[in-house]
Amino acid sequence: MDEAVIVGADIVAGHDGTAELVVRLLHPDGSEHPVLLDEDTGLKLMEACGAASLEDLYGQSWRRIVPES
Amino acid sequence: MFDVIVRGGTVVDGTGAPGFAGDVAVKDGRIAAVGQISGEARTVVDARGRVVAPGFIDPHTHFDVQLLWDGAARPALEHGVTCVVPGNCSLSLAPLKADDRKAVVGMFQQIEEMPPEAFTTAFEWTWEDFAGYRAAIEKGLSINVAPLVGHSVIRLWVMGPASQERAAFPDEIAAMQALLRECLKAGAVGLSTSFVDLDAHGKPVPSRYAQFDELDALCAVLGEFGRMLQVVPEFYATDITIARIDQLAELSIRHGIPTTFSPLFDTLAVPDNAERAIARVEEQFARGARVWPQMQTRPIDISFSLLRPSLFFARLPRWVRILRQPLEQRVAALTDPDTRAKMLADLGPDGGEAMFGRLVARGGDACPPEYVGKTLSEIARLRGQPAGLALIKLSLENGLDVAFLSASQGHQSTDRIGPMLAHPLVHIGASDGGAHLASFSTYGDTGYLFSEFVRKAGAMSLEKAVAKITSETADIWGLKDRGRLAPGQCADIVVFDADAIDRGDELPAFDMPGDGMRYVRAARGVDTVLVNGEVAYAQGAYTASRSGVVCV
Repeated sequence: MDEAVIVGADIVAGHDGTAELVVRLLHPDGSEHPVLLDEDTGLKLMEACGAASLEDLYGQSWRRIVPES
Repeated sequence: MFDVIVRGGTVVDGTGAPGFAGDVAVKDGRIAAVGQISGEARTVVDARGRVVAPGFIDPHTHFDVQLLWDGAARPALEHGVTCVVPGNCSLSLAPLKADDRKAVVGMFQQIEEMPPEAFTTAFEWTWEDFAGYRAAIEKGLSINVAPLVGHSVIRLWVMGPASQERAAFPDEIAAMQALLRECLKAGAVGLSTSFVDLDAHGKPVPSRYAQFDELDALCAVLGEFGRMLQVVPEFYATDITIARIDQLAELSIRHGIPTTFSPLFDTLAVPDNAERAIARVEEQFARGARVWPQMQTRPIDISFSLLRPSLFFARLPRWVRILRQPLEQRVAALTDPDTRAKMLADLGPDGGEAMFGRLVARGGDACPPEYVGKTLSEIARLRGQPAGLALIKLSLENGLDVAFLSASQGHQSTDRIGPMLAHPLVHIGASDGGAHLASFSTYGDTGYLFSEFVRKAGAMSLEKAVAKITSETADIWGLKDRGRLAPGQCADIVVFDADAIDRGDELPAFDMPGDGMRYVRAARGVDTVLVNGEVAYAQGAYTASRSGVVCV
């Protein structure tokens, strides 16, 4: 593994009352960190990964979170 | 002769000391005596069977706009709140040049969800500088206000459009310092900044373009006045929050200022988030820094409709696929009996009762009135349909514009949150009063503190809870002569029923300019509220009193 990958995903209640997505990233050094994505970004991530469920996100590169320019 | 005597109650004086039977006398807007008082008064408030406490202070609100036509910041005052801090999250309505109003209105609408009429018909823009805004709100206040000035508007004033493009040059930083100094002299209680907020176009607000040297220079000015820096940190990203805590600690120590970050949430999805942040706060206080995490009392609800895709359905693959289609195809799919049958099959043999039954139809949208406030389980029974089918059909019948609320989906564990709220370094706040109007109610968090964490969970005593939202808040923010019932203090007083005080039910109200909708909660258990010695709310009604002040 040479870059961070998604190893967990969960829905959380966002500060503004929307459903948001927390993904856990596993980094090459073995550390794991949560990243919060707002509803739009979370939906875009699921679409970019062709994910129909949270489990489909597992193993995806962190780069999928960043919109392509 | 006193002006007012609040007689016969249990005095909980805001210090955390045990309550005692006594009276509170008021003269010329100040507390004249506390104890057994034999004198007479023009007005006597009967407080038998009630608690008499200092007025509550709400340190994180966005009432900046509303205060221009509603000096009571309704319904905050009826919940016992006698002082609000607007101007959070880097946004205030001053200083603001006339040419920049449109841009800042967009930012406010993004945060507050206030209808456009609020900015075009509800008041007249008579100011550009902070003193002018202060004068505009002071005309009609019945609640006290300690306003922050926003970093984003300071930046916009000095840099114009470049405020959302780049870092500031040294001369621009110096100009921002001078402007902040002017605002603090005009009554600002501190500076707010944000690391997360977006404007109406989804672009980071101006404060997010600042480099550390700019924030450091502004904090040097705060240090001249000993005033507060408020920041919005990155939610749930614990490591970044800890880095922010360290950054705030450096600023606090270097410039001798208090700092606060809000909100700090607990979530079961990142269970060590709040715990680790509080541990870092403890370390930094031990070093001499003041970094106050603000934590709200209320849980976070999720709301959604089928009008827009929502991650609420992320655990239902078929629903995700269907609901993220364009509107026309989405409606066609939801209408198609075969597709609908498959969607319902995904919900299990109970037709979605377990998964959706507790959802509540919110109202304020196209939902038929007879269903507003009812659970989907109740609606399903009334319609003779399984819960999942009722959700789909009710939505289809009303153009998909029916909002549902899933209560207590975040920051919801009373057992975990109670001890955190009681922690001596955790600042109770972050209500966001006056914001998110069309999404959820931001009022009544103080009532919820008493009903949930004092009465139900016993996480703290009544006296401690009162102290947390009165004297401790006043001390953290440097609000002089506020937050205690003692001779010489300003007479901000709330009389409430300790057995009944609560946040009330969330209901849609159409009381914003242009008949705009917002969600509110009517107070429960609050009898009387005095602001600077005058009765501002009693017997369920607001009075004509306008005794509120800018209390900085």
